[in-house]
Amino acid sequence: MKQCKDFCKYLSDFLDGEVGTDEYKLIEEHLEVCSPCAMTYESLKTTVDICSKGLSDDVPDSVRVRLKEFLRSHCKQDHCEIE
Amino acid sequence: MTAAADEDRDTIDKVTNGDYDAFETLVNKYEGRIYRHLRKLVGDNQQAEDLLQETFLNAYKGLAGFSGTSAFSTWLFRIATNNALMFLRKNRPEIVEYIDGIASAGDVEIVPGSPEFVSTPLEILLSLEGRKKIEEAIDDLPALYRSVLVLRDVEGFSIKEVSVIMETSVAAIKSRLHRARNAVRATLGSYYRERKLSSLRRDPIET
Repeated sequence: MKQCKDFCKYLSDFLDGEVGTDEYKLIEEHLEVCSPCAMTYESLKTTVDICSKGLSDDVPDSVRVRLKEFLRSHCKQDHCEIE
Repeated sequence: MTAAADEDRDTIDKVTNGDYDAFETLVNKYEGRIYRHLRKLVGDNQQAEDLLQETFLNAYKGLAGFSGTSAFSTWLFRIATNNALMFLRKNRPEIVEYIDGIASAGDVEIVPGSPEFVSTPLEILLSLEGRKKIEEAIDDLPALYRSVLVLRDVEGFSIKEVSVIMETSVAAIKSRLHRARNAVRATLGSYYRERKLSSLRRDPIET
């Protein structure tokens, strides 16, 4: 008989669809009847969801400008052609 | 990913045929994501900027050798990750070698889900304060775990792509991701539980 901790080990893979069909069904059924595991899974989903939305990919203008200048000076010289 | 890879292929061909402006198109497209990844990995803005420059210079020089067996973005993130890990191994080896409790203890402890966390509205979870907490929870992870979580959950690469970028087996990536996600989940769960308790202490009528 599997215990909750056995299911919890696979929740991350379950979320990614990285478990086999049989395991998927077993975990799905367990989550329907076990509210603590369902809460664990919900909090895992929330974590992944906010990680995907919560980190800005803004680059400060100064960093952007220095990057372009650096690359132009290093890439456009004869001695630094594409190898 | 395939469509994006094809789109980049045309631009890459232009670059290898001597069109430098096409290279700047690639830089404009990926600089934000690469900079974010590097900042998360090395935890220092100045160092992340140096690595950003190095990464795109390496990419430019190596572009002719880009085979296209993986997407350009996968290839680029691999260069960035290698550069960052090389820098950390040289300058802060304790960060890369540091395998803490979540790595060595076999099964990771699964803390119960926090109803206070799950029931917090998204606009609070993604508020300025909420975003800061996410950043801190990720920053607390050991570098190799942080890298896997950022590549998968922030950058949206598939498990297989993360394994190519990290040059690590799919099984190891899954294991690190499981531990990293649960560590972040535990940190955020505990923060929002405490936040709720504090608000109840301030205003006992609130439910």
